[in-house]
This record gives sequence, C-alpha cells and structure tokens, in this order.
Amino acid sequence: MGGTAVTVVLVADDDADIRDLVAFKLEQAGLEVVAVEDGQAAVEQARARRPALAVLDVSMPGLSGIDVCRMLRADPATSGMLIIMLTARVQEQDVEGGFSAGADDYVTKPFSPRELVSRIQALLSRARA
Amino acid sequence: MRRDRSVGRLLTRAFGVLVGLIVLSGAAETTALIMQHRVVEELSTRVQPLELANSDLHSVLADAQRSLRGYLLTGDGQLLDTYYIAHSDYGLTSGKLRELARGEDDAAVGRQLRHADAWWTLAERQREAPPRSDAAAGYVSEGKELFQQFAAENGQFADALAARGSDLQERSSRLSVVTTAVVIVLTGLAALTAALAAAHIAGRITRPLARVVSVIDRRRSGELQLLADADAGPTEIRAVAQAVNEMAAKGDQIRRAEQDVARLRGEVRQLGYRIRGHLKVEDAVKEAVQGLAEIIGADHVLVRMAPGQTDVPPLASLHDEHVGGVLKELADCGVDWLGHGDVWATDDPSPAGDIHPPEAERRAWAAVGDGPVLTVAVSGGDERLGALTLIRDSGRPGWTAIDIRLVESVAADLGRGVHHARLYEREQHLVARLQELDTAKTDFMSTVSHELRTPLTSIAGYVELLLDAEAGELDPPQRKMLEVIARNTRRLRELIEDMLMLSKIESGTFRTSRAPLDLAVVAEQAMAAIAPAAAKTGVDLCTDVRTPLQLSADAEQLDRVLMNLLSNAVKFTPAGGTVTLAARREGDEVLIAVTDTGIGIPAGEQHSLFARFFRATNAIHRAIPGTGLGLAIVRTIVDNHGGHIEVRSAAGEGTTVTIRLPAQ
Repeated sequence: MGGTAVTVVLVADDDADIRDLVAFKLEQAGLEVVAVEDGQAAVEQARARRPALAVLDVSMPGLSGIDVCRMLRADPATSGMLIIMLTARVQEQDVEGGFSAGADDYVTKPFSPRELVSRIQALLSRARA
Repeated sequence: MRRDRSVGRLLTRAFGVLVGLIVLSGAAETTALIMQHRVVEELSTRVQPLELANSDLHSVLADAQRSLRGYLLTGDGQLLDTYYIAHSDYGLTSGKLRELARGEDDAAVGRQLRHADAWWTLAERQREAPPRSDAAAGYVSEGKELFQQFAAENGQFADALAARGSDLQERSSRLSVVTTAVVIVLTGLAALTAALAAAHIAGRITRPLARVVSVIDRRRSGELQLLADADAGPTEIRAVAQAVNEMAAKGDQIRRAEQDVARLRGEVRQLGYRIRGHLKVEDAVKEAVQGLAEIIGADHVLVRMAPGQTDVPPLASLHDEHVGGVLKELADCGVDWLGHGDVWATDDPSPAGDIHPPEAERRAWAAVGDGPVLTVAVSGGDERLGALTLIRDSGRPGWTAIDIRLVESVAADLGRGVHHARLYEREQHLVARLQELDTAKTDFMSTVSHELRTPLTSIAGYVELLLDAEAGELDPPQRKMLEVIARNTRRLRELIEDMLMLSKIESGTFRTSRAPLDLAVVAEQAMAAIAPAAAKTGVDLCTDVRTPLQLSADAEQLDRVLMNLLSNAVKFTPAGGTVTLAARREGDEVLIAVTDTGIGIPAGEQHSLFARFFRATNAIHRAIPGTGLGLAIVRTIVDNHGGHIEVRSAAGEGTTVTIRLPAQ
C-alpha cells in the first residue's frame, strides 16, 4: 500500500522503441509507468506493483501477451486489473484470442500514441466511476 | 409315328389311280366301239344282204309262178318269156343266197331252196303241159301248193332275219348306253380322285409348311428357342423342318459364340475403364492383373514394368498371390526384347513380326508349367512401360486370335492407365509443391506485414510525438517535413493493410459473413467518416439515399467498400468539386452509386481498374497517392455478396462507380 495518488501502468513490449514511446506518452499524461521487455517480467511486475492497468504486446518471446493476460486473470490478486492488448495482427483469431483471454480492449499496430492514451484514460476513468 | 407319310408316294398313288381310271375308261370306249362295229358289220354284211336275197328269191319265184300260171291259163307265150327270165334269175339269186347263208342259216336256206327246187321241177313239167288243159289246171293247183310251201318257208326266214336285225340294233343301242354310263362313272371317279388327292396333298403340305415358315419367321424376329416340328407332317416337310432346325442350331451356335465374344469384349472394355480410372500406377496394374485372370481365363498373369519407368514392382494375379513361387524366375526377366506394340503367343495363329523371346524368358516359362504363353508389350504415350504376360497351365487350350486381341486391348488400356496415373502422380507432386509455395507466400506476406508494422508503429508514434510538440516546439519547415513523413507513413500503412487483405483473399481465408443490415446506416457512417477529409480538400459532399435499404451483407466489408469508393472520389476531385453518394432500391437489387466531378479515368485504362496495383496515368502524373489495391478488394467483396460493379468515367469530367447488390 503506497497510499500514493499516482496511477501505475504496466507496459510490456519486447520492442524497446515502442516501449519507450508508450512509456513517454503515458508519463506525459501523468501516469507512473513500469516498463518490462517480456511476459515473465510482466507477470512478476504485475504481482509486485499491482498496476491499475497493463498494456501488453501480444507477440513477445517466451510468454505472449495473451498468456500473460490469462495468468493475470487467473490470479485473484491481479484478476481485477485493466488490460489493453497491443497487436500487430489484424487476423480475427488474434483479436478473439485476446478478448477470450480477458483483455478489456485492444489496439492494433501501428497505433497513434495519442489514441492509445485516450483509450487508457477512458478505461481508467470508467473503472474509477 | 407313320414313317411312310410321303407326299411323293401319295402323289404317285393318286396319279396311278387316275391313270388307271383313264385307261379303263378308254378300254370301255374301245370295247364298245369294237362291239358296235361287229353289230353293224353283221347287219350290213349278213342280215341285210340275206334279207335282200331272200326277198329277191321270193320275187323271182313269185314272178315265175305268176307268169307260168298265166301262161298255163292263157297260153300267152310272152308270159312264158317272163318265166324263162325268172328261171335264169333264180340260179343267180339262189346261188347268192346259198353263198350268204352260213352256219345257222344253212338249214333254213336249204329247206327253202328244196321247196323252190321242188316247185321248179313241177314248173318245168307244167311248162310242157299244154296251156288251158286240165293237166295244166291240175298242175296249177299242185304248183300252188308247192309255191305256198316255199313262200311259207321264205316268209319264215325273212321274219327270222328281221328279228335278228332288230335284235342286233337293240344290242347296239344298249351297248352304247352302257358304255356311256361306264365312261361317265369312270370320269366322275377320276375327277373325285383328283379332287381328293389335291385336297389331301394341300392339307398335308400347306399346313405343315406354313408351320415351318412361321417358325422361321418367329426365329428371325427373336424367338430363338423355337424349333420346327420334325416329327409331324409328310416326309418332305419333315426333311425341310429337320434342315431348318439344323440351320437354326448352327445359327444358335454361331450366335452364342458371337455373344460370348461380345460379352468378353464388354468385360474387357469395363476392365479398361476401371484400369484407366485408377490414379495410382500400382492400382491400375493390380486391376489389370486381376481382371485378366478372371475374364480371359489365365492361370497366371504377370505384369512387369520396364526398369526406370516406374517404381512399381512386378505384379501377379491373385492365383499366384505374389510373384514368389513359380513366377519368381519370370518376374526377374527383362522385357526389353518386346518392342512397341509387340505381341508374342505360343502357337500364335497369325504371328506378327520377328520377335524372339530370349532363352532366359523361355526357361522361365517352362518353370511356370510350359503351358500356352501370351506376352503383350505395354506402352503409354511413346514410352515402353513394360509387358503383360498370361500363362495357362499345360494342357489347356492355346491362345485364340480373339484372346490375343482382347489382351492387346487391355494392354493398351493399361498403358494409357499407367501413363495417366504417372502424369497424375507428377501433377499431384506439383500441386503439393505449389500449395507449399502458396502457403509459404501467404505466411511470408503475413510475417512481412507483421514485421513491417512494428517499425512503422515506432516511426508513426515518434512523428506524432514530434508533431504534438511533446519534444519541444517546431518551426514551420520542421513541421512541414515531419508532416511529409507522417503522410508517407500512412501510405505505407495503407499499403500493408491492403496487401494483407489481398493475401487473405488469395489464400481463401477472406470470409464474408452476411447479416441483415440497413444500408442507410452504413452510408451515413461512411459519409461522416469521410467528411473531415472532404472538408480539408474543399470538396462538397452530397447524399441521396432513399430508404428502405435492407440488405444481407457483411457490415464491416460493406463499410470498407463505401470508404474506399468515397475516399477515392474525394482524393481525385479537385477543390470545389462534388462527391455524391446515392443509394436506392431497384427491383430485386440495391443500387449504390458514388459520383464525383473529379479528374476521371482515361477511356483506354478503364478496363484495368480492378487489376491489382493498377493506377491510372493521370493519378500518377498528379502525384495523387494510392496503392492500386483498393478497387481489387472492392470487387472481391462485391463478388462475394453476389453483386456486380461497374465504372463509368470520362477524363476531366468525373467518375461514377455503380454497385448492385441483391436486396434482402
């Protein structure tokens, strides 16, 4: 219990450029960002830091974003976390896979950082309400 | 069973009876004629001359008596002359009478002439008596008495003669009547015999003959089980029936043989179809081997493939189970001694060409049993594929010309079948390879587009950060340059999206899931989405949508179609132009038309509009961005919905794209 008013967001992407881009934009928006580069770290950080929201890239080496999502949903400690999936694929099965794993929203690459932040804020404010 | 019922014999008998009756009739007639002739002869040569002579005698004597009496009473000498004449006539007349009289008449004539002679003796005495004397008178009465005795005798003879004449005439007429009656009866009998014979023969010939003819006719019209009755009717008809039956039996035999051959041909043809129906060489060969053993009646059937042609091992009929055993040696023999289309048969009735099976082959045949062997080359296309060998056990009949032809036919089918199966197998390999390539291409496309997205995300994202002044304020040239980067990033992104879509279409994973929807709603959303771009370039938007517009369509794909057409229209329309979206129901169709007042498409290029990556020359010249994939995708979507698309355009005036979709 940090008791802080700053909302923590977990960003998991194996591409450092995208990770930095998202982290930069979210920090600009006043959120605290925990950035990780693979699924395993994402699960560990999610459990350690209890972020309000996680941005997960679908295709990561080791655990994929969908695997991570499924694991977070299965753990009572993290099951209430908001999750947005980032996918480079538009194939329906990926999107369906993401939703069936329990994601709250998904954004396809290439995405506009502005749009991603506004969707994250929308999800957060809806969760607070 | 009457064995002697011959029409010939019957005819002979009937004619014999007829001839007999005719001869009898002629004999009766002749007899009657002869008898009548005798009667007439008797009458004319005897009775009548006798009557005449008898009458003459009476006249002579009467003349003599009358003249003598007259002389004696009157003494007239002239009368005495008459007497003398009569006396001399008497000699002639009596001589004649005596000459004519024979047999039975002799007595009567003799008696008469004795009386006449007595009278003449007295007459001679009278003549010497003085006329008119008493003596004379006495003589007259005495003479009268003698004369009367003569006359009586004469009359009696004349009566007898007359009676004989009439008797003869009566006999003649009776004979004539009897003869006529006999001839009539005989003629009647002859006519009756002829009629009976005719009727009988007609009956005996016509009906059985008609039966035989009817049998022939019915056989001809297909009732082949019928036979003529060879046990009924006259011998001749039986002979004909027998001959007909023998011919029929011969014909049946020939027909059965022909039917057998036709059946075999049919089975061989069916076998050929089955062989050619197989898509695997081994299956085709197995079919041939089994079929031949059954149809042709071979104890062993072996198919050997020439080395290098196929990897199919030699195959033998079911009788042999596999090529082990007696066929082992033969299976190992090569077949290169057989040329294209060659046939070799033991005791071949019509050997063709100069074919010499090698010693090894002959030894192998002997090992199988030394029965009749038939080997036919199997060729497919221009290649020698192998050989088909049929062997019968020793002592079984050899190969007939028909067997050889049938086996040749199977060999030809096998050749074709193997040829086709090999082509098919090659084709299968090719198809599999192409499918692999296609899958690889699809995977590649998918991977490439995926791999492109990630760097593109960074580029677009960082450009956006810069343009949003997140890294500090930009001066106008910097902003303009960044905007160029942003625009081209968007183009690249669109290109990737379209390529991905096309790859889905080509790999068949592009699916259209239709559901009822209202086109008016989709159209409204599309117009709203395009409005900012239109406003930016100064193009007026116009909507002419007439409800209801219920469709069964894939909403997302229909939206893509409208967005594509509208963005094209806006893109190609200069500032101040108008883009109109019209939609209405027309009969069973929903019509959607997007019209612009843009640059149009040159007439010569309109037919290429739906080709992938095609871009009109005027679009390229004016540097209007685009991938050339949009309309290809639009067309696929429209096709998937069972609709059709049409473009009308004039360069410099504008373009109308019309889509017709089936209404719900």
